[in-house]
Amino acid sequence: MNVPIVRKVLEKNDAAAAQNRERFDRLGLTCVDLLGGAGSGKTALLEAVLPILTRNLRVAVLEGDIATTRDAERIAALGVPVVQLTTEGGCHLTAPHVQRALGELTLDELDLLIIENVGNPICPANFALGEHARVALLSVAEGDDKPAKYPLLFRGADLVVISKCDLLPHVDFNLAAAKTDLRRVNAAAPLLETSARCGTGIDRLAAWLAHLVGSALRIDAAGSAVRTNRK
Amino acid sequence: MHELAIAQQLVELAGEHARRAGARRVTRLNCRIGALRRLESDLMSSAFEIARAGTACEEAELVVECVPIRARCPICAQVFAVADWNWRCPDCAVEGEPLPGGDELELISIDADNELTPGAAEHES
Repeated sequence: MNVPIVRKVLEKNDAAAAQNRERFDRLGLTCVDLLGGAGSGKTALLEAVLPILTRNLRVAVLEGDIATTRDAERIAALGVPVVQLTTEGGCHLTAPHVQRALGELTLDELDLLIIENVGNPICPANFALGEHARVALLSVAEGDDKPAKYPLLFRGADLVVISKCDLLPHVDFNLAAAKTDLRRVNAAAPLLETSARCGTGIDRLAAWLAHLVGSALRIDAAGSAVRTNRK
Repeated sequence: MHELAIAQQLVELAGEHARRAGARRVTRLNCRIGALRRLESDLMSSAFEIARAGTACEEAELVVECVPIRARCPICAQVFAVADWNWRCPDCAVEGEPLPGGDELELISIDADNELTPGAAEHES
């Protein structure tokens, strides 16, 4: 017999993601999934942006890694609450992973939860976690062909961060070609050029995240986020 | 290796629907996977072999319809598949405009019958 089905293959993960999302929405907590290849600069970007965000927002980080707690230690050094999630070889986080880790955070005392996904430009893009927005990283050191190679990562992004831009003079990265390819898979997401090392674009990233939290932040002339009228 | 996670979900979903339809053995899974998913077909086959062991899908065949990325030519309006990230219209040689889709990941149907598979028998006992 033939049994027609037509179901999304990852519907179990999607259902857990929907539960996570409901929980975030009930608490008024914004959740962002930060994705990118290994070495694309996700942790360095967090190290640069968290000190700006935490002036006015209560932020925590879920740190996804295949193994080791090194990245979590870097975040903890900033005084930001962090939970390490190791996948023990798994190449991506799933919504149930996140569900289990949420128990280790005091969620009702948070404004923003950032999930740093496992460093991998392919697999994590397939798995919704319950996030409100996805930020995808492309470092100029990786090469301008990556939007063509990992299109799903960029297709699903609400913001694309081109990282390590201080290296542009030293690497063979065609920014215009990369942007053309990014636009082919995602015409809507803003593209933000950053350098965590030099601070380029970090204030704009902070402003984008703060805007997402809905906290009516503005970035003052000194580049620091100022809360104006939250609650 | 998201192939394994996806293969496991396929096998589970197929098994559930087979049981619901009163069948014991799945002989074929028909699914639709978009090119944007970047599933590697050799990896997918090995992952499926691992995932189906000891389940109602143990003897099933995995049939994948690959959905390409598509674009529309701004000149002749034909819709063409973007292969190897080549966005030029095959006739007009101008860049096509991206169309939605290409991110499909669906189980469309299964073929199932009432034969016992070794895996399913074990499961029932």
